[in-house]
Amino acid sequence: MYELNASEDRREGLDELLVVDCDVHVHESPGALIPYIDRRWRPSLELIKDYPETHSYLNTPGFSGGGTGQGDGPMFPSGSPGPRVVSTPEAMRSELSAIKVDIGILFPDHLLKLALHQNPDYALALSRAYNAWLVEQWCDPSKGLLGVIIACPQEPEEAAREIAKYANDPRIVGVYLPTAGIHPLWGDRRYHPIFRACEEAGLPAILHSVTVITQNFPYNLGDFDTGLAVHGLAHPLAIMANLTSMVTSGIPVRFPNLIVVATEAGITWVPFLMNRLDKEYVERRREVPFLKERPSYYLKRWYYSTQPIEEPADLRQMALIIQAFDGEDNIVFASDWPHHDFDHPMKVDQIPLSPPVRRKIMGENALRLFKLDRTGARLEQ
Amino acid sequence: VTDRERVEHRVGGIDEFPAGTHKVVKVGRLREIGVFNIDGKLYALPNLCPHQTGPLCQGRVTGAVEAAANDRGTWDFEWVMQGEVITCPWHQLEFHVPTGRCLAFPHLKVRSYEVVVDGGDVRVRI
Repeated sequence: MYELNASEDRREGLDELLVVDCDVHVHESPGALIPYIDRRWRPSLELIKDYPETHSYLNTPGFSGGGTGQGDGPMFPSGSPGPRVVSTPEAMRSELSAIKVDIGILFPDHLLKLALHQNPDYALALSRAYNAWLVEQWCDPSKGLLGVIIACPQEPEEAAREIAKYANDPRIVGVYLPTAGIHPLWGDRRYHPIFRACEEAGLPAILHSVTVITQNFPYNLGDFDTGLAVHGLAHPLAIMANLTSMVTSGIPVRFPNLIVVATEAGITWVPFLMNRLDKEYVERRREVPFLKERPSYYLKRWYYSTQPIEEPADLRQMALIIQAFDGEDNIVFASDWPHHDFDHPMKVDQIPLSPPVRRKIMGENALRLFKLDRTGARLEQ
Repeated sequence: VTDRERVEHRVGGIDEFPAGTHKVVKVGRLREIGVFNIDGKLYALPNLCPHQTGPLCQGRVTGAVEAAANDRGTWDFEWVMQGEVITCPWHQLEFHVPTGRCLAFPHLKVRSYEVVVDGGDVRVRI
């Protein structure tokens, strides 16, 4: 299945291959959300609508505040012209086409930090405004641009109503679970209404983190001197913590039809986490008697997106890692366009995979995950 | 391809490449080349990053940091090679223009094209 030169059928070029990109970011400036937010919060967005974003990327007070731990050290002149953002669906369509992506799943920029908001009413209002704005301004199945709505973790019952509202909208294909700085972790019972709503709507729940230094998990990232260390561990630790929390609190048993997706953490840690939790399970099953199988049994039902794909010099190692967790049906391509650490599909495409496995990972698994046909139309439930 | 078989392609007049600047030129139908003028000497590199095919030469030219260990147990940072380092705009991978050497991966080098200045013409040998 994984050999080089597998010749059971033709290996089409990236241009011909269906590429579904499970993580693309739109740019929601505070000003853009003003017409969509509850009128009580308009003055708060008016105040920050002209806040310069170039030098404080995703760090706008009252919108996406909180330290990132990355821009706080010394700065060096670099080739970077500043953060890349995409502000219109037309630009997004053409930029995704330039990197060979056919269908893109849209996530926010600033509101990656939604879980850090201390005022739950404001967080809820921001999430609702963003959802309405995204659906109205961005999503267009005919352009291959589909959205995920934000589930506000501060207000799970209200978030569940929001999910039900968009359940049958052809422009929405999933529910984004803000993961950076989330407290308590997503396995907590307070979030059950969100998972129940996802199950009823048939929408996958998607963990997506961003680099932050908070008092919540993984809080001691602030011990490092460099952005390399902080950013290197922030995403995978956040994802591993939340998946572990969900499995060990029995989420996959209580919500057997819930599909969870891990994004922006790469994939090489997946076999580590599965093997590690399985090892603990041998000794500690009595703490988790609701699990009927080992933890990896449940983790293998869920999905893992590729970006930032690890790049060992010998890419055959990646094929072996994919094989190590039976990942060929559960890995979905993601670019993270337009962020600084985005992946061009060519890099995932360099992993030596057979043509059928390559098709699954680059697009077909995502069609099944998001219940889409090849044109981006949502299939009937 | 031996050196004798290389073909010279005119990429512009010398006035189009002032010292301290760089730009990307097209050679033939598909090939894009970054031409750099560093202190009056011209260099040419492919506009293609070996990492993920990014448009390498459309990045900015700066210097780079290097570090030496000191007796205090920390590192003395130094800003070096000012005006000689091109950074890919996609993922910030740095290359030393005069040698094509990648700063992050010592084994990695991009191709350097020979640049010929003949009268007012600038040509690259490919």
